[in-house]
Amino acid sequence: MASVTINNVQKAFGNAKIIHDVSVDIADGEFVILVGPSGCGKSTLLRMIAGLETISAGKIAIGEHTVNNLRARDRNIAMVFQNYALYPHMTVADNMGFALRIKKADPADTASRVKRAASILGLEKLLDRYPRQLSGGQRQRVAMGRAIVRDPQVFLFDEPLSNLDAKLRVQMRGEIKALHQRLGTTTIYVTHDQIEAMTMADKIVVLHDGLVEQIGAPLDLYDRPANLFVAGFIGSPAMNFIHGHVEEGIFRSAGGLTLPLPEGIQPAEAAGRELVYGIRPEHIRATGQGLSGTVTLMEATGSEIFATVDCGGEVISCLFRERLALKQGEAVRIEIDRASAHLFDARTGQRI
Amino acid sequence: MSAIAPERAGVTTQAIEGSQPVRLAPNYWPFVVPALVVVGAVIVFPWAFTLWMSVNSWTLGQSRSFAGMENYLRLASDPRFWESLWHTLTYTFLSVVAPMFFGTVAALIFDARFPLRGLLRGLFVMPMMATPVAVALVWTMMFHPQLGVLNYLLSLVGIPAQEWIFNPNTVIPSLVAVETWQWTPLVMLIVLGGLASVPREPFESAEIDGANAWQQFRYLTLPMIAPFLMIAVIIRTIDALKSFDIIYAMTQGGPGTASETINIYLYNTAFSYYDMGYGSAMAVVFFIVIVALSFILLMLRQRSQWIDAEGK
Ligand SMILES: Nc1ncnc2c1ncn2[C@@H]1O[C@H](COP(=O)(O)OP(=O)(O)OP(=O)(O)O)[C@@H](O)[C@H]1O
Ligand SMILES: [Mg+2]
Repeated sequence: MASVTINNVQKAFGNAKIIHDVSVDIADGEFVILVGPSGCGKSTLLRMIAGLETISAGKIAIGEHTVNNLRARDRNIAMVFQNYALYPHMTVADNMGFALRIKKADPADTASRVKRAASILGLEKLLDRYPRQLSGGQRQRVAMGRAIVRDPQVFLFDEPLSNLDAKLRVQMRGEIKALHQRLGTTTIYVTHDQIEAMTMADKIVVLHDGLVEQIGAPLDLYDRPANLFVAGFIGSPAMNFIHGHVEEGIFRSAGGLTLPLPEGIQPAEAAGRELVYGIRPEHIRATGQGLSGTVTLMEATGSEIFATVDCGGEVISCLFRERLALKQGEAVRIEIDRASAHLFDARTGQRI
Repeated sequence: MSAIAPERAGVTTQAIEGSQPVRLAPNYWPFVVPALVVVGAVIVFPWAFTLWMSVNSWTLGQSRSFAGMENYLRLASDPRFWESLWHTLTYTFLSVVAPMFFGTVAALIFDARFPLRGLLRGLFVMPMMATPVAVALVWTMMFHPQLGVLNYLLSLVGIPAQEWIFNPNTVIPSLVAVETWQWTPLVMLIVLGGLASVPREPFESAEIDGANAWQQFRYLTLPMIAPFLMIAVIIRTIDALKSFDIIYAMTQGGPGTASETINIYLYNTAFSYYDMGYGSAMAVVFFIVIVALSFILLMLRQRSQWIDAEGK
């Protein structure tokens, strides 16, 4: 077990700069999730921590030791690859036990560890199969099994649940979390699934184009996104953004819509600049007062209702928890929860 | 709805909408007969003839008489035959093992990226393209005890001159050296093909799992290219067993009979002594040896094929 320190790390493939300047401190035993859109460099960063990619600039340390020049095999980390990277010529059991076998561990001990991992992952019946005889989800679980039979300093997971069905994903999420609680091993986990990030992480790192947008606890990021990118990325359905400016103490959108200022914002600090008003769909309620608009779309999932409302040119998505008898094309009045609204500077993207 | 007629070999069924299927008469004989004739003339007849000759006593220019198993019994008690069989097996074994080793090492080297790789690889493959008689000529000169370049090179590092193909003790290894020089590139090409088909990702896993370079080779590379190695072994074994040209051109089986393989002995028996019956018996026995070896190799090949393995 060890902490991981990532210090002003950069990565370039030839002329293409992929990671610009990333610094993250990960405490011993912490569960950190890297999220970001596809191609933002999550896998690349993870592979640099693993030692599979060289570090163009900056420093990565595991525990006390800078590992920049340490080979992957000497870093004592376990990794689940996005593309599984199983050993095609070995059975599931041999795949999982390989790391222990080459360390000349006691075969009986290896077998019992493999068995335990297999039972956690529901792979008991597949131990004698070869990877090509497995489905994508089963392969992914074997890749997980290969990591958890070991006792590494750090676990690295690269989208380990992306190929599982919804039910299994929820179950595995719980298993990984439980595993982390039991072992307490530092874990760095890449995903672009919001829910995974929100439910599993002690700390989320939001990456975008090779830069860190924000680091924080899941609810911090949700409640106080640092900028437009994080605000739009965290939370589903995504936050509504309304462009406009502040005039006489109220927010006036480009389309002429007026909204109350978010709580705690002084009109003075917001006046005179291009702004973006941010409000999450779940912070809008249909109370019979507030903005009036027309329902343009409505999807009921049973537990909630997702609707888009056209308020004089601004289309606002709303998520209602109560059962409303809404119909497409009907007029509705929606009220914004001021306490949960945000204002962003449109030019810099920073939250005010 | 048209009924589906069960298909029969050589019967073409054409289903025409709204009418009965039209049957064309079986007329495949014109296609089969030429093939049968060719197979009969080229494969079956020579074998049948050889078998028949092997149970006859027949020296060219003299009369032929039925001899039963006599030729085979003579073979069993012919020390020169047993010696040639032994020569064949050692020659084959060494001519498989040495090119396999050097070819695999060369493939591993040429699989890595380095400057001038393409050019060097091209040069490396050259020996394969030389004709055996030319190769024999060049190597005979290089092996020359007084004038040969090999002894000169040895003298540079203080090793006494060797007699190479002119000494009964070193003639077979020397011939194997020529065979190795010529056919290592073939093994390299096959193994290179195998290496190119090996996926990259498992090596990253192995690196993470803590495997060092040797362990990665031993547990990943080797099993993954095993089917290719097996094919190279099979090709090399067949080639080495059949090997005749280089040996004949360089030593004619000498000195004495020190490098006489079955092929050479067979050739001498049939075409120097014109003893067709005895030569045929030898050919038949040699054929059985080859079939037995092939059988062993095929069994090994089956085992090396993890691609089709359905578990242990
Ligand atoms: N070996 C490489 N050579 C050049 N460019 C690369 C290489 N590997 C990755 N890249 C580029 O680096 C960028 C980041 O890739 P990376 O795989 O880290 O993305 P990611 O965040 O993991 O995306 P995803 O969520 O789709 O897996 C991409 O634009 C990719 O094209
Ligand atoms: Mg990725």
